[in-house]
Amino acid sequence: MRSLAALVALASVLSAAESYLSPTEIKLSPNGRTLYVVCEDSDALLSIDTPSCKVTNRVTVGHRPKDVALSPDGRHLYVSNEWSDTVTELDAQSFAVRRTLKTGWGPIGLTTDKTGATLYVANSIGDDVSLIDLAKGCEIKRLKSWRSPNAVRLSRDGSRVFVSNLLPHLAPYDQSPVSELNLIDTTKQIVSERVFLPDAMELRHVAEAPANAGGFLLVALMRPKNLNPLIQVQQGWFLTHGLGLIQPGRTSSTAKQVLIDDIDQYYAGADGIAFAPDGRYALITSSEANVVTIIDTAKLRRHVNAFDPADLPNRLDSARSFVVRRIQTGINPTAVATSPDGANAYIANHLDDSITVIDMTRLSVRVTIDLGGPKEITTLRAGERLFHDASFAVQGQLACFTCHPANHLDGVAWNLETPQLGRDRVANRTLRGIAETAPYKWNGHNPDLETQCGPRSARFIFHSEGFNSEQLKQLTAFIRSIPLPPNRHLSPDGELTASQERGKGLFFGRNCASCHDPKTHYTARTSADVGTAAQYDTSGMFDIPQLERVYEKPPYLHNGEALSLEQIWTVYSPGGKHGQTADLTKEQLNDLVEFLKTL
Amino acid sequence: MNCKLVTLALLISQVGFAESQYTHWINYTAANGMPDDKVTSVAIDHERVWAGTENGLVLLVGGRIERVFQPADGLAHRFVTGVAVDSKTGDVWISTFGGLSQYSGGHFHNYSSSSSGLANDIVYGVGLQGDNVWAATTAGISRLNVRTGEWTVFSERNAPLHEPWSYGISVSDKKVYVAVWGGGMLEFDIAGEYWKPYNDPDGEMEIVLFRNQGLIHDIVSSVSWNPDSKMVWASTYFGLSGYDGRNWHNYLSTDSGVASDFINAAKSVGPYVWACTDKGLSRLNFKDNTWETYRVNAQSGRGEIIMTDGNGKVTKRETLTALAHSYILNIDVQNDDIWVATAKGLSHGTISHKENESHANLRSRR
Repeated sequence: MRSLAALVALASVLSAAESYLSPTEIKLSPNGRTLYVVCEDSDALLSIDTPSCKVTNRVTVGHRPKDVALSPDGRHLYVSNEWSDTVTELDAQSFAVRRTLKTGWGPIGLTTDKTGATLYVANSIGDDVSLIDLAKGCEIKRLKSWRSPNAVRLSRDGSRVFVSNLLPHLAPYDQSPVSELNLIDTTKQIVSERVFLPDAMELRHVAEAPANAGGFLLVALMRPKNLNPLIQVQQGWFLTHGLGLIQPGRTSSTAKQVLIDDIDQYYAGADGIAFAPDGRYALITSSEANVVTIIDTAKLRRHVNAFDPADLPNRLDSARSFVVRRIQTGINPTAVATSPDGANAYIANHLDDSITVIDMTRLSVRVTIDLGGPKEITTLRAGERLFHDASFAVQGQLACFTCHPANHLDGVAWNLETPQLGRDRVANRTLRGIAETAPYKWNGHNPDLETQCGPRSARFIFHSEGFNSEQLKQLTAFIRSIPLPPNRHLSPDGELTASQERGKGLFFGRNCASCHDPKTHYTARTSADVGTAAQYDTSGMFDIPQLERVYEKPPYLHNGEALSLEQIWTVYSPGGKHGQTADLTKEQLNDLVEFLKTL
Repeated sequence: MNCKLVTLALLISQVGFAESQYTHWINYTAANGMPDDKVTSVAIDHERVWAGTENGLVLLVGGRIERVFQPADGLAHRFVTGVAVDSKTGDVWISTFGGLSQYSGGHFHNYSSSSSGLANDIVYGVGLQGDNVWAATTAGISRLNVRTGEWTVFSERNAPLHEPWSYGISVSDKKVYVAVWGGGMLEFDIAGEYWKPYNDPDGEMEIVLFRNQGLIHDIVSSVSWNPDSKMVWASTYFGLSGYDGRNWHNYLSTDSGVASDFINAAKSVGPYVWACTDKGLSRLNFKDNTWETYRVNAQSGRGEIIMTDGNGKVTKRETLTALAHSYILNIDVQNDDIWVATAKGLSHGTISHKENESHANLRSRR
């Protein structure tokens, strides 16, 4: 019996040893002596003794852990497991698993409140925030976030919880994106305010400045000019990266935006944010540029107050006014945390299994902590690094991940460069589960991923030399490996509900499967004209999209004009060209939608 | 001795009657900030009051009009028919003639029949039950599960609706009640997921053969579950019905103190049942079978309280202030405060002992 247990333990160690760690999030203990590291690809949480920079403990948590929160007394840890829809509660000292708490769909960011009574968890797929009563271990309510809630942060005074939303509002495809930051009142436990950030998307980490440094919030974001032709990339100022500055008020907040890019060099993938304890500096990681930017917060405030808020977000000369230093990190720096004594800052390097330690006095790298992941870089790992690497784009403006956050989609339509400029605006498409769904692009012109990601992308998107043949092989191998997430609408045993069953009957009875063939991921792998060609489309023939996890993919149709599945048929199916559905009752259409969600 | 006791009891009863009466009214009309005089619905949420009008949604805080929301602010449609406040999340759900609106954190999110599974854009009422939002529409009853996003439509095809035109929703811990115009009252069992209809046993006839035989009429304008008395009340255009799970209790203007048989809405809280009629606001004390009707004296403009005791004896009392209008559309109750939606404004009624307020002062408030 003992030998069996030993074998299981050994197998576990070997299995763990074979996986990359991919540290995605870090948090420090209240005394700063322990750094907790969430390792996404190995389903693990590590602890590091910060004085010695040694890994001291490791525990297996749920699938695809994303964030960790500490109880106010530092005794307990809470790890969100994105693909398990759970939070693992651990003893912070022993790393013993205490219990597993159920959440909504796709938990990512989380925090306890000031008393440790309630845990707030952002559910990225459910588009809501779970409030969990930690005494009872059960969810007490869910608050509507909006779209792919991401990072969660408790305010310094404990009165609010801030939640950033990764994806922008669903809106007409000819409008620029608007994203939002949710403010939750922790006393009433309601969403007290939704701060809108126009022309911005991909809101990531949030941090609050100390009161003596202004008490404002910083949230990492991207500002796309998706309504302009993509040729603008070559001229700059197209995909810019920056910060939202939010000054919370008692009843309403004010929001401004400022860029961290330079005129001729961009810092793609603004992600982690932390303030030095005295508020003098703020640190922002650029995950696709492998850089951490250190900002003088006093200069930042002066600069922001010196310009018209409408003009400020588009000024590419801002950064030089307040950036103190740019420091090279490891590969794909995501999260950053500063020590309570202000001596060090820690940065999680997602794709090289390391932690960069910044000496905050010298503003330079003190040491890099090797977390112990595999040293051999596989083809997939190399491809993943390329996927996150903005150096392949002109001026470092974007990486693949910039427009495919979480290997998915960004939810907006882009005016891609075509021979006929200004035409063929198309919605971004997911990269999850697409290995066997060729051809690619909405016009179906790319027969394989090598064509999609090769010289054409280099020319039309990155405006650079692009990837060499070996890199292209690595990149496409990685894209092919991107899995589908679990289906939240399908019961674990696969049994359909009555509504889903009726919808299935409609799907096959109405011959939807002739184009959305279940044998090939619900696409016929060809193009069809479903009557959706718009004014600026040069053709009415569009690639038939695969339908798996279709509920995670709004907006729909080639230009993203259908904001919901229902609109595909209620608004955008002229003459019944997108299936014979005009005679469907509302009940039937709802059933059809419910079935589609199970795919 | 017995005579004295009876007299004492009557006196106590009269004092109690008067002390719980609404004698002080403050009215909100287009003249003092409302976007429209016709107020269709009202919901109290602690210090906040939400009022739906034909031209927007009104938020009052502490008795002052704080904000008026219209389609330009994101509201689904200017014609608001119902409001429900989610006490857990703080979100406000609004039924309109252009779909369903969710007000959360200062912004609206809208659901229409084209963008969602909502049965129809003409939504007359909204109710909240656990994770579900129920909407009464002209094409049936819609249910949205806010956690899964699943919409379910109940219509004549899958529920015992003689007519799909539903008017109002009321929720208990185990049931959902729906008022159906011409289709009676429906009861949905939450655990079992099945419907049970309640219809007028007299069919289409606008007479009552046996007083408490069943639902008084199939044209039901609203329903109200009372968690205290465990009774559900249905207002119809031909009288008021209450059902305690075993027996029906029906009231007509000819045999009770209800002001009119044409009842737009009912609301039952504690021992009371409020009936919003076209001729005033009536309140039944179900325990002692006494009635009060609040209305406006057309000649004097002052308020009137018509009291009907358990024996049918009618007395009248006059108040210096009055409801905005006697045509009543909706009501909500919170402790001793009542807010009343009328055809000519929103009225806030309180139990006041200041009967000596000057007429001029009151005039200026109206």
